Amino acid sequence: MAIRVNPRLIEDLNRFGAADVQMCYHCGDCSAVCVHADDLFRFPRKSMRQLQMGLEKRLETALEPWLCYYCGQCSDQCPREANPGETMMSLRRWLINRYDKTGIAGKFFRSLKTELWTIIVVSLLTCFAALGYHLFKGSIYVYNGPDAFLPAGLVHKFDLALGSLLGFVLIINAFNMWNLSMKPGDDVSIPWWLYLKSVLLLPFHFFTQKRYAECSTTGKSKLFMPWMVHLGLMWGYVTMLVLVMVFLPFLQSGPEIFWPAHIFGYIASIGLLIGVYYFIRSRLVRKYVQYHKSHSTDWVFVVLLALITFTGITQHLFHRTGMTVAANVTYLLHLMCVVPWLVRMPFTKWAHLMYRPLAMYFAAVRRNAYALKENKQHIFFRVVQTV
Amino acid sequence: MRIGVFFCQIDHEKAINLDQVVKYADNLPGVVYTRAYGVKPKLNAEALSVLLHDYEFERIVIAGDSPGYYKPVFTKAFAMAGGDPEEVQLASFRQHGAQGADAIERAKAILACATYAVPYSLAAVPKGGPVHSATLIIGGGIAGIQAALEIADAGKPVYLIERTGTIGGHMAMFDKTFPTLDCAACILTPKMVAVGQHEMIHLMTNASVENVKGLPGSYKVKIRVKARCVDQVSCVSCGICSEVCPVRVISEFDAGISQRKAIYIPFPQAVPNVYMVDVEHCTYIQSDGQKCGVCVKKCPKECIDLEEKDLLEEIEVGNIILATGYDIMDASIIPQYGYGVFPNVITAIEFERLTNASGMTGGKIVLKTMDVNKRTGAEEWKFDPKGPSPRNVAIIHCVGSRNKKYNAYCSRVCCMYSLKFSHLVKEKIPGVNCYEFYIDMRAFGKGYEEFAERIRAEGTFVVRGRSATVSMNNGHLVVRGEDIVQDKTVEFPVDLVILAVGLIPATGTAELCTLLGLERDTDGWFSELDYNGNPTDTERGGIFVAGMCQGPKDIPDTVAQASAVAAGVLRSITSGKGIGHRSSLMLSEIEARAKSIHTY
Repeated sequence: MAIRVNPRLIEDLNRFGAADVQMCYHCGDCSAVCVHADDLFRFPRKSMRQLQMGLEKRLETALEPWLCYYCGQCSDQCPREANPGETMMSLRRWLINRYDKTGIAGKFFRSLKTELWTIIVVSLLTCFAALGYHLFKGSIYVYNGPDAFLPAGLVHKFDLALGSLLGFVLIINAFNMWNLSMKPGDDVSIPWWLYLKSVLLLPFHFFTQKRYAECSTTGKSKLFMPWMVHLGLMWGYVTMLVLVMVFLPFLQSGPEIFWPAHIFGYIASIGLLIGVYYFIRSRLVRKYVQYHKSHSTDWVFVVLLALITFTGITQHLFHRTGMTVAANVTYLLHLMCVVPWLVRMPFTKWAHLMYRPLAMYFAAVRRNAYALKENKQHIFFRVVQTV
Repeated sequence: MRIGVFFCQIDHEKAINLDQVVKYADNLPGVVYTRAYGVKPKLNAEALSVLLHDYEFERIVIAGDSPGYYKPVFTKAFAMAGGDPEEVQLASFRQHGAQGADAIERAKAILACATYAVPYSLAAVPKGGPVHSATLIIGGGIAGIQAALEIADAGKPVYLIERTGTIGGHMAMFDKTFPTLDCAACILTPKMVAVGQHEMIHLMTNASVENVKGLPGSYKVKIRVKARCVDQVSCVSCGICSEVCPVRVISEFDAGISQRKAIYIPFPQAVPNVYMVDVEHCTYIQSDGQKCGVCVKKCPKECIDLEEKDLLEEIEVGNIILATGYDIMDASIIPQYGYGVFPNVITAIEFERLTNASGMTGGKIVLKTMDVNKRTGAEEWKFDPKGPSPRNVAIIHCVGSRNKKYNAYCSRVCCMYSLKFSHLVKEKIPGVNCYEFYIDMRAFGKGYEEFAERIRAEGTFVVRGRSATVSMNNGHLVVRGEDIVQDKTVEFPVDLVILAVGLIPATGTAELCTLLGLERDTDGWFSELDYNGNPTDTERGGIFVAGMCQGPKDIPDTVAQASAVAAGVLRSITSGKGIGHRSSLMLSEIEARAKSIHTY
């Protein structure tokens, strides 16, 4: 069947960060050097080719971009400086846009202005809402309890409401992803029980990021960088998310420390601090090839996360040391960063937290399906031969 | 004659400042009217014709960067005004090279020629001085040899200087030439002998250019002839000196795969066929005559003089030909192929010497085997004629070429010699597997594509996709790459990896450039005057380029260019006019010449 091409695709991808794709002359260095490329999912050269030709349909059903952790080996070795690693990164951004049917993600990725204005507007709305509440109820001199400036119960309810809304959007996006990449294709049929067979891979890849550890740069580094930092950041982030979503009343309680909940918070904060420091520094120093080009959304991501971490820790310190007013003000600032962050979650780089393990899982299912098909054929041939 | 001059420019950026030129045009004889229209004027033929009619012009000149653009409107207007359309002249600044430092002067000259209706190229012929009949050729490779023979056969004296001890260059190292698979030595050695015996060729080996002075037609060149320490006339190449010499040095001619002595002959067919001393490694010379000196005592002809000093010679020549050739890039700076780490990863030139019938293994293709040095106890990997033959050979194209990190350009010969290698390997080792990893197959010459087809038909596995890495696994080299046509990632365990390493300008090219006042292109090769029109001339008159030093090319192209250079040199000698350069022309000269042509 003929495939429809989109000759403007490469121009569009340019705005997602893939600037040098046309330089590629297909020597195959990148695919050969990548430890994750195998016969079924071979990248980045193939994706570069599809991009050059404008095969939009092929690219949007591809899982390859998610299988890449951008260790930078391919871009390092590229003889044409076509930057295949950055191309894969841009394809991930483009895919986040594709999985999101609302089109909001695309607006964020294509324009920094839109993204910044959204953050500012949501941030100010949060601020006004909190101040409005302050007019009727709540006192700036109280941190916790029913009369607090920002009472834990109220914030918690708001968290849960926002969380479930976003969870719903994420589930829809995940379904879109499945629909695009795992639709019963023309080449292989995937029986339902294959999904069950590999289901454990989903939490496994989510919590270990094992494939990042296999990347060649990780192997060369003594401290398993950047895998360890990335993993630490993810663990810290997820722990904090769970704490805030489920245990917020405990976190916000009394000046004395509630160790069973807080110990996790402290460890998570360390992970977040190290991660944020490492990635901002890498993007500034630009020593490694994967940080040579930072898309505007990358900067928004790390800077906003850094602000959230910083304000969160400060308000906690103020609260424990009894400076209630300062604690309340920083808490408000913290919320002004967190709410835009949460609202934008499914439409930004953040979504790779979900898409990447999903893609690994889907890839495993697909691989099994192909193996099954091959085996069946073999059995068939064997029967023919014996007859 | 009433002449009107109109200035029309096309773009802002490259345009020259016209004020001076306009002033100059006012004072030209016959010019009654000048007008500068500025950049991209919109001209109306009817309005223009009124103006032209009022002034009763007999000739109009359109001057500017691309005045041809406005010729139709002026011609129309001039015809409407009753003028002769033949008398619309163009003064095209850009076309005649009014650029750079003397752009204004050149523009004035071009304008002056146009007002006289004399073609600029006719008036601006540079005068050369009388040309000295001798020619200096720097570099004794195939290009230098060919050019020397062409000129000398025409009866003109030639000085051929060569940095190493023998002429022949890289071609002497090769086994076969592509695509005909002729024996390289069979083509080259007769020419080398002819150079050695030619009465018009003064051959200076082991020599280099110290200084160049003078103008086209008469260059005074100072040449340093380094101490050879062996008398060229009386040496009969018996080889006794080499037998007794205790010093072992890595052989340059064998591309480092074998060793020679400190007193040696580069190869048996060397021209001049005389032994020479490697001054840097000779124990006697390095110890100021304290140690050794065995060769002097043993020489039956008593022709060795280790006290010999360098000689400075000064010669006068009319033309200089640069044929300095190329060097091979150091493959060890590319880490992924493991050259210098794994012993059986070798470069193309090493393989040439290995497979050459006159090489150290007698043309047998073998693997390097480990040997323990008895004196130092260190492990050494060497080619041993009794060593095992490889069963699987990988040849990797484009190593360091077409790569923005190393050489951005294509080295042009690698595809073809790599295909030749796989033929040689298959010819010499029955049942061998040969893998060619390529990006694009550049078989551009006569018979090249057919040669590539032939190699494919011979059963070589030609893999589209350059291999990315060479690694070691269980004592086997493993070459990993992507086969783009088959859509597979491939890993081949092999015994021998041959790297088709890219070519770079010869060492010393930069120094020679500053010495001669020439320019090099961005890749470091000598710049020719015009790639299409004047591929052998340089910016300086009387200095020519031939062969690889101008850019990578194969042997047929090199020989062709060398012959073309000889034609240029002979032209300048027989015409008696040196090839002066246009930059030497003065405005007044061009003006006077244009005037004389005009009146004539």
